[in-house]
Amino acid sequence: MSVSLVYTAAGIILFLLGTYGLVAYAHLLRKILAANIMGSGVFMVFIAVAGRTPGAPDPVPHAMVLTGIVVTVAFTSVALALAVRIARTSNRAHLPGRDEEQR
Amino acid sequence: MNAVLLTHPWSIWTIIVPLAAAVLAFLVPRRAPLAGIITALSVALFVAATAYRIFLAGPHIQLLGGWQAPLGITLRVDGPALIMLLTSGLVGLTVSFYAAGYFTAADRQERRQQHYFWPLWLLLWAGCNALFLSGDLFNLYVTLELVTLSSIALAALNGSSAALDGAMRYLMAGLLGSLSYLLGVALIYGAYGTVDLTLLGQTVRADGLSRAALALMTAGLLLKTALFPLHFWLPPAHASAPPPVSALLSGLVVKAPLLILFRLWFEVFPDTATAGMAHLLGILGCGAIIWGSLMALRQQRLKLLVAYSTVAQIGYFFLLFPLARGEAAATAWVGVFLLVLAHGCSKASMFLVCGTITRLAGHDRLTGLAGAGGTLGARLLVFALAAVTLVGMPPSSGFIAKWLLINAAIVTGQWWYLATIALGTLLASGYVIRVLSLAFTESQSPPLPIAPRILRWPPLALAVVALLLGLAAFHPAVLTLAGAPVSGIILLEMVP
Amino acid sequence: MTPGLLLLFDLLLPAVLLWLAWRSLTSSDLFRAVILFIAFSLLLALAWVRMEAPDVALAEAAIGAGVTGALLLVALARIESAAGRRLSPSARWRSAALVLTGTALLAAAAGLLWSLRLLPTMPGGLGPLVDRHLAESGVDHPVTAVLLNFRGYDTLLEVGVLLLAAIAIWCLDEAVPFLQQPLESQLLTGFNRMMLPILLLSSGYLLWLGSHAPGGAFQAASLLAAGMLLALFSGASLPAQWSGLPLRLLLVLGFFAFLAAAIIGPLTGRALLHYPPAWEKPLILLVEWLLTLSIALILTAAVIGGRPTGSRLYPPPSSPSAEGRRQ
Repeated sequence: MSVSLVYTAAGIILFLLGTYGLVAYAHLLRKILAANIMGSGVFMVFIAVAGRTPGAPDPVPHAMVLTGIVVTVAFTSVALALAVRIARTSNRAHLPGRDEEQR
Repeated sequence: MNAVLLTHPWSIWTIIVPLAAAVLAFLVPRRAPLAGIITALSVALFVAATAYRIFLAGPHIQLLGGWQAPLGITLRVDGPALIMLLTSGLVGLTVSFYAAGYFTAADRQERRQQHYFWPLWLLLWAGCNALFLSGDLFNLYVTLELVTLSSIALAALNGSSAALDGAMRYLMAGLLGSLSYLLGVALIYGAYGTVDLTLLGQTVRADGLSRAALALMTAGLLLKTALFPLHFWLPPAHASAPPPVSALLSGLVVKAPLLILFRLWFEVFPDTATAGMAHLLGILGCGAIIWGSLMALRQQRLKLLVAYSTVAQIGYFFLLFPLARGEAAATAWVGVFLLVLAHGCSKASMFLVCGTITRLAGHDRLTGLAGAGGTLGARLLVFALAAVTLVGMPPSSGFIAKWLLINAAIVTGQWWYLATIALGTLLASGYVIRVLSLAFTESQSPPLPIAPRILRWPPLALAVVALLLGLAAFHPAVLTLAGAPVSGIILLEMVP
Repeated sequence: MTPGLLLLFDLLLPAVLLWLAWRSLTSSDLFRAVILFIAFSLLLALAWVRMEAPDVALAEAAIGAGVTGALLLVALARIESAAGRRLSPSARWRSAALVLTGTALLAAAAGLLWSLRLLPTMPGGLGPLVDRHLAESGVDHPVTAVLLNFRGYDTLLEVGVLLLAAIAIWCLDEAVPFLQQPLESQLLTGFNRMMLPILLLSSGYLLWLGSHAPGGAFQAASLLAAGMLLALFSGASLPAQWSGLPLRLLLVLGFFAFLAAAIIGPLTGRALLHYPPAWEKPLILLVEWLLTLSIALILTAAVIGGRPTGSRLYPPPSSPSAEGRRQ
């Protein structure tokens, strides 16, 4: 019980760490990496919650995390393809800032 | 015959048919437009059958796999879902016709866009319909991701640098939003051991954990709906996409997270959300109305103007949270859902007109469009017709919707929301008139060629439907309340 | 392990995970950041094992660390060859905004962690309900039963998301060969000759295992994808006549089969995804096999990162400036 609480808390901190990375860094690859860390945090909360039931762990959150992992890899692959395309089109690995956008 | 009509699960075909058609369109790109049109017609038919079933037999639950909740996933075929499906059917049908004319196989680049538009749009459509019907918090996450990812791919469709950047910004906002929502779902599952909306509505306790989960889910969904001040990603993404895509993103996609918000706040957590939280959303809504309208007023490009108008219109939807109180609940509820339908049609129509104008003139700079001749004038007339609904002038559906909201504000004694609605209407007339004045400007520029028929009729049809819905708003209004979490009579303090 | 050691492990593992995540986010070298992320994912798989989630552990190691790692490394090389290694300087307005973001996140952390005390000490969960209906599901492993039967609708849409990702990636760009010339290394060829059959076998084994033990279509598919990628890295390629309709058919096969199985229900007066009694087992098995093949191809296509070249249907995008004008 207390173990699952430790992992729940760790999951929430991972989520917020990832959020910070996603907001704070400009490089697109770093942002995508941060989003994956966010996702891992959320999955950890799911798994920790599944382990709280008496007896064998609840399989439903496990299945949800499997779904979540696949959806995340789908998003990651599109995000990376988009980042590569932006790098090839505009020769940069970040989004234009406010000043650049005005042009 | 009637027995089949009243028992067959019509609503699921609005999901299955686009999914199957998307696969076929991807397999045989040359026949993709045909697959798209056939799908559009059949989805419209299935939405009509669903409406008929709800109208005669009332709202119902659809089991999936034959499993009851909480083990299985259920679909909620109720009034709110139906209004969303109607929006989806109307906007989807017309935009599909327009897109069949807009994306041609004229050159290699256009052929690529045509071939990829159809599978992506059909997946988006399936995702939207699945989301509107879903009655399960985790399934809502999966459908939301289907909607977001296909929208992002569509936003990047033309491959221009601006479109790629817009899509990337959209993707980042989307990821942040959906993961935040999912963390909320994880906490809810931990606390209650189910993700079924109906069961949760019966068991949720109004404690700190529920509030934390609600806050996480709400924050994520606000980012996805682009409510001010989280709207930064919307104008670039909507304005740099191809026009049929912009019409879908503004007319349909922003409403998807909105419905989840309504379901969460009114069905699952009616007691958890405090009045302060509801007012916060209402104030952000007011901010969106004013800020979005002001930004629309100062845009130099027609598509950006329309995109900022979407930012403003999203604000009205959020007035539901503070206005749906006490005896005004049903009034505000019907008003906002009518507004969803009205805005979906009118905004999609406006973006399609933008597309036709851009196709004819080669650009959409407002100064460059001035006085471009009779062809442009005719297009601008359609724009004006759609704008009648957007601004909320009688007898349009937009007028009825705003009238109901104003009445809810009066009944609940919240004058400041009434003032904001009035101010928003004024500002909206301002930016619409700014566009229309172009038609009456003298200029020496040569007249534009006439647009092909398929680029002229769909926006006109949508604008007319939006306008006429105001005269036949009774049935949609009644249907909105079928199975809705609010009940009561529609109060009218003032009669128009 | 003794309880004391186990407690130490349970405190150490999350701490190391947090440290790895932090290092991966802040490391100035992006290549290093990606390697740290892969290490993070592998350790995460260990955490899932500890929390008795072997299915998730397998998926995390194969997809989270393996496929995502490969995606990140390939994308990093491509981004740096196009945009250079120089990191863009962050704009000045950011610092104030960042302090604000950091404060907001700290407040959120405090609020969320404090609210955890309200988690029920004896939660219900759906475990007993799954167990009660397991016999009717057509499979013997609870997680597979949830994925392919009880919540099969989620999985159907999720495979739709995967297919969508492949279409979106194809829409964005053309595939660029990994290597100008295949690596003619004896070591790699020998390694491949050994690894490919092993990967193929273990993929089939995992798939077979899924019906009654941890394993299943997604884990099997990522092993299969790893095999395909190894073959690609050492210069193998799809014959040109296969890169058109045949490849597209293979990509959609799993999803289409799932969809076809799903509508048997409504066409025979049952619910969507409600398989006819006694047909559950063969239908689920068939869908799983086809899903494995399609998902493996989709994951491989995602790492390749673009539509096959040389297809008459999809010409290369013209120059960006010309497209911008057409817009």
